[in-house]
Amino acid sequence: MTDLNLSDPAVIAAISGALTKAGVDGIEIEHERQKLRIVVEHNGVASVLAPAAGRAQTSLAKAPLAGIFQAVDGTLPRHVAAGENLGFVRVGPILLPVKAAKTGVLIRALAEHNALVGYGDPLFEIELNS
Amino acid sequence: MIEVIDTGPLNTIQDLGRTGFRDIGVTVSGAMDPLALKVANLLVGNEEGAAGIELQTFPFRVRFGKEVAVAVTGGGNATLDGVAMPPWWVQTAQAGQILEVTPVAGSARGYVAFGGGVDVEPVMGSRSTSLRGAFGGMEGRALRKGDLLPLGDAPVSELAMTGFGVVAPMLEMTSLFPVVEDGTVLIRALPAGEHDLFGADAERFWRQTWKISPQSDRTGYRLAGDPIRPVAPVEMRSHGIVAGVVQVPPAGEPIIQMSDANTAGGYPKIAGIVEADLWRLGQARAGIRVRFVRSSHAEARALDKAMTDYLEDIRATSQMVARALKTIAGH
Amino acid sequence: MNSALQSMTRSSLGSPLVRERVHISPIGSRAFLIEAPGGFDLATQRRIWALTQDVGHWDDVIETVPGMTNLLAIFRVVPEDPQAVVARLSNAWDLAQSVDLQGKTIEIAVTYGGEHAIDLGALCNLSGLRDREIIRIHHEGTYTVFALGSAPGFGYLHGLDPRIHMPRKTVPSLKMEKGCVTIGGMQTGVAVLTGPNGWNSIGFADLPMFDPTAATPAIMAPGDIVRFIPERIEL
Repeated sequence: MTDLNLSDPAVIAAISGALTKAGVDGIEIEHERQKLRIVVEHNGVASVLAPAAGRAQTSLAKAPLAGIFQAVDGTLPRHVAAGENLGFVRVGPILLPVKAAKTGVLIRALAEHNALVGYGDPLFEIELNS
Repeated sequence: MIEVIDTGPLNTIQDLGRTGFRDIGVTVSGAMDPLALKVANLLVGNEEGAAGIELQTFPFRVRFGKEVAVAVTGGGNATLDGVAMPPWWVQTAQAGQILEVTPVAGSARGYVAFGGGVDVEPVMGSRSTSLRGAFGGMEGRALRKGDLLPLGDAPVSELAMTGFGVVAPMLEMTSLFPVVEDGTVLIRALPAGEHDLFGADAERFWRQTWKISPQSDRTGYRLAGDPIRPVAPVEMRSHGIVAGVVQVPPAGEPIIQMSDANTAGGYPKIAGIVEADLWRLGQARAGIRVRFVRSSHAEARALDKAMTDYLEDIRATSQMVARALKTIAGH
Repeated sequence: MNSALQSMTRSSLGSPLVRERVHISPIGSRAFLIEAPGGFDLATQRRIWALTQDVGHWDDVIETVPGMTNLLAIFRVVPEDPQAVVARLSNAWDLAQSVDLQGKTIEIAVTYGGEHAIDLGALCNLSGLRDREIIRIHHEGTYTVFALGSAPGFGYLHGLDPRIHMPRKTVPSLKMEKGCVTIGGMQTGVAVLTGPNGWNSIGFADLPMFDPTAATPAIMAPGDIVRFIPERIEL
């Protein structure tokens, strides 16, 4: 595994293809100080968001618990503040907040409204201001 | 302690009411939307019946004197130091922070609960304000700017620290509380003692759509529509009543007695609203249209059970979620 | 009875509803009203008091509210079988024996006439009696507290002389003072709150009827005897 290069287009293409096939919305890989984030669009096209150093840093808002993702209205991209509620995870009648960990630009929702999500699943992606 | 820094008229401290004293003429009072008050209390970790604030006029602002869980439910939009709280939500306020509540379109009353409850001295077993009797709540009167409200002691839960909310009852129990497409609220009721004395007009009572008149408040709602009258005028002997009784004064437009109603009445009564539907009237503003639907004791029981289950679900699930989050945090 | 009174009663309030049999009807989902048959009299009220004591001990009843020859019973939860509840209440009425509540005697000092007696003139016209005569008839009466209700501590007093019966107003006085001594139909009482009031005022009593912080908040209780003592007469 030490020879894995996350900036290699062939590697990215292979991972994207596997994600799309598996119906997974996205993945974040950290390996040997390399970082790769791939988000699968609804049309099946994968986009690589932060494959290399020098690009904008991003922060993920993750599901606090397993439940049903509840989106809230709002246009993307938009500026959000640290601690702001971005959406909810519903457990029975209870709604838990999905909060922005950092201030930045909310660029993407990674789950669909009413989708079942697991604990720690990434739900939103925020591009950090440098 | 919290300080009221801005309030409209007629905002009062209410719990679930002062029951058990109708026989000495004491009005029950209590929240007009008891369901919203109960949920607010569950969110901050109180017993369902702790005292909170019922808001009928806006904006309302309070400043916190200490760290406390605060929940806003029913017809209230809240911000904490300018940051919006989602509807039906609890958050933890820090000393010095300011909660502002503004109205929600389509609702009449907002409820604010605090961890530990509003700890004014109970009068005859209740902290509800009786405006008419001038006792209970804050010196028997509506809140005003500068009031300092004592709060009970209660620890702030981890969950309240994070902030969380519930799915509003109208969304969670949509099928149980029907609204007609044009916005008419369907209110279930049982025929009352003098129903049949109205002859053909009794059917017109059920058939027509009534409009809540502007002369409606916590004491009672006046309904505007085609007058209905008994076949022959009747004079009743005074008798005890409960909130939800629909009386018909001589002019023929019904009155629904609400939380602050007299304990006794003498007008002929055509119907009595099932208790489980009263909170919906509590959230109905003047101008809203209502139609009465003939109900049964069996249906009333089913509705009561659905509401109890909803509250129990909130209680049990919030505890389960709190445990799960604690487990995760421990890893 | 005075014919003017009768016609006024009919036109304003309709004829009194007299039930021939005990009448039990729901008010909403967990309250039931039991109306005694027959007249508006002490004998009937004594049976209502007995019924109140009985039903008040039922485990599934949370509150009993005696009225004027009637009783409202409020249940803890919506009953599963409302017909069985009606049958139980009906049976309880049949079995209710007369109770003679051993009440206390309350003497109330009254200023008859004066600024608060806003309806004394109308009562003179209605009854054909002079004001002094009305006052004498009122204070010579011995009244029984039938029930409390309407406002905190307000007692409905029975025993008013038919010569000074006077129907309630169709348009209430908007701000009648607390303490006004009033007549409503065949009852009398002392207003306990300042506010809209449909009864007719003939005097004033400066006696607090209710203290929410007291162990027994209401001065009056059903079965008490009330006498009005003319302290002053201002005509």
